[in-house]
Amino acid sequence: MITGEQKPIDEIREMISPYKRILVLGCASCVAECAAGGEKEAAMLASTLRIAAKMRKENVLIKEKTLDRQCVRDFIISLDDIIGKYDVVLSLGCGAGVQAVAEIFPEVPIIPALNTGFLGETKDQGYWVESCLGCGDCMLYHFGGICPLARCSKQLLNGPCGGSMDGRCEIDPDVECAWHLIVDRLTKFGALDRLENIYPPKDWSRKQGKGPRKIVREDQ
Amino acid sequence: MNNISKLKRVLEGGGFAVTAECGPPKGANPDVVLKKAETLRNKVDAVNVTDNQTAIVRMSSIAACSLLKTVGIDPVLQMVVRDRNRIALQSDILGASALGIRNVLCLSGDHHIFGNQPQAMGVFDLDSIQFVQVVRTMRDDGKILGGDDLSQPPDIFIGAAANPFADPLDFRVIRLAKKIRAGADFIQTQCIYNLDRFERWMGMARDRGITDKAYILGGVTPLKSPGMAKYMKNRVSGIDMPDEIIKRMEGVPKDKQQEEGINICVEAIQRLREIPGIKGVHIMAIEWEEVVGEIVKRAGLLPRPVFD
Amino acid sequence: MTGEQKRTLALYYCQNVPASGEKERQDLEEKYRKSIRLFPLPCSGRLETVHLLLALEEFADMAYIITCPEGECRYSEGNKRAKKRVGRTRAIIAGIGLEEERIGIIIGSKDNQMSLSDYASIAMENALKLPSSPVHSRP
Repeated sequence: MITGEQKPIDEIREMISPYKRILVLGCASCVAECAAGGEKEAAMLASTLRIAAKMRKENVLIKEKTLDRQCVRDFIISLDDIIGKYDVVLSLGCGAGVQAVAEIFPEVPIIPALNTGFLGETKDQGYWVESCLGCGDCMLYHFGGICPLARCSKQLLNGPCGGSMDGRCEIDPDVECAWHLIVDRLTKFGALDRLENIYPPKDWSRKQGKGPRKIVREDQ
Repeated sequence: MNNISKLKRVLEGGGFAVTAECGPPKGANPDVVLKKAETLRNKVDAVNVTDNQTAIVRMSSIAACSLLKTVGIDPVLQMVVRDRNRIALQSDILGASALGIRNVLCLSGDHHIFGNQPQAMGVFDLDSIQFVQVVRTMRDDGKILGGDDLSQPPDIFIGAAANPFADPLDFRVIRLAKKIRAGADFIQTQCIYNLDRFERWMGMARDRGITDKAYILGGVTPLKSPGMAKYMKNRVSGIDMPDEIIKRMEGVPKDKQQEEGINICVEAIQRLREIPGIKGVHIMAIEWEEVVGEIVKRAGLLPRPVFD
Repeated sequence: MTGEQKRTLALYYCQNVPASGEKERQDLEEKYRKSIRLFPLPCSGRLETVHLLLALEEFADMAYIITCPEGECRYSEGNKRAKKRVGRTRAIIAGIGLEEERIGIIIGSKDNQMSLSDYASIAMENALKLPSSPVHSRP
């Protein structure tokens, strides 16, 4: 899932301040799972902004709507009938959702209400952790299902640095040492010899350097 | 001074090598480096120059190494992968070699979150083992990553670091073996205070037959005070500081603490010399370079060999 | 009540808490006319932040939730959730310059069972300590 967190309310209010008719647009996919931009959060943000406006006797119209997916054209075009009523869209989608809406409705300004975070897992209620960089060339097989690129602070591919103590990363004792986890897991599966390999430098051209990455599937 | 690694000559000649460390200043004044150089000259075979250690911006390591060369000191250029991608690292290796710098220590580097630029983008394009391998390929095969030929390969004695005290212990020797297999000619270890654990680690390394494939220099750091010992125990990751050392430092009057720190350091060096496979000592006297001469003398390691 | 003292209260409550039934709710609504609006919930865990916000936005000077004591929730942790949502709502309204005391929580006591009317008067007493909400400018 792609995670996000709502921006500070003052920053949002500053960005929408020139506008009078605002559509708060949620997304029911990833950002709903991480309780940042789903239907509930869109309703809360819209209500908060209306309260703030009423307190200051500002005459604005603020409505909310949530799309099943804000990053998919088929869902975005459902705004066709209503978008004309607004002079700005305040999006609670991730960065992809914001840009997708902007592209389909180029005449309407769109403002992000979230800071998009990372590809992660829901560990517990209210607890999300990054676990994937989207490097384009998955190496999880080699490392027992634990990604050192996403989870080791120094992105080491050849074993823990000298700062790992008691299974904790030197940058913060709350952070597990990814390499400690990798060694433990491979030991358990009797596959520690895999780590005798010297893994070569990562091919980052699979992630960046050729403009925005694309997937084109002729079979679709 | 000729452009031959003195460190390499001492080690290849079967001598017990002595290296020290010089941290470049947080400023552009070359005299700070030259003054530290003066206190270390003829006391050690080579001097490591740290690369923005603890991720604090300092004079560049290559520049400071070059300054050391002007006064006849054989520098060990420390290079961390934290700040430079593979293009910059390979380019700096060529530049260092062109300047006559003959020793390079390839490191990951302290994480930038600890330094004075925590907002920086951490590069970590290569890791330290890959970096060792890249330098070895540049030197031995005359090729950079991707296979392009160099018009002239760099002449570099390649070093790497090892921390016998970090976790997970079982993996520490595997990692040392990987570094040596990747091409490390010499290894400098993290500061050793727990000699028992260090001996066990060396035993494991000998069992794997890797101690005769690279020159291993044991790291030591003289303590100035019990406070420093406690700080290192509690705050510096990857340090194993036994309580006996702290008690020993606490057990002497304040005006004798520095001397006790030196005593502990000299004793450690003497014990390291007895360990099979240890080929030298790396003295990291942090901002206390002036004490290195005395430690080397008391450890019976003077005079240092002289080459034409 | 004088005109100056008039406040409007949204009172959400877990139906398992007040020692009284539906009859009392009707009586209370009668008594307070429109100044208290009552929202019975099967469990305080059903309360959402947006309910509290909408109450403040649409009509209320204050919004209260009445929960059972911790450890007493028949759905295990409804009251803990309610408490978190109160905290979150307070943080949100503080962020836009509204007094966080406009959101309140009353935790019922097992030993000292009170009627809905008792809770209502406690909440109303607290409401009167604050000025009218700047969200609703009344003449």
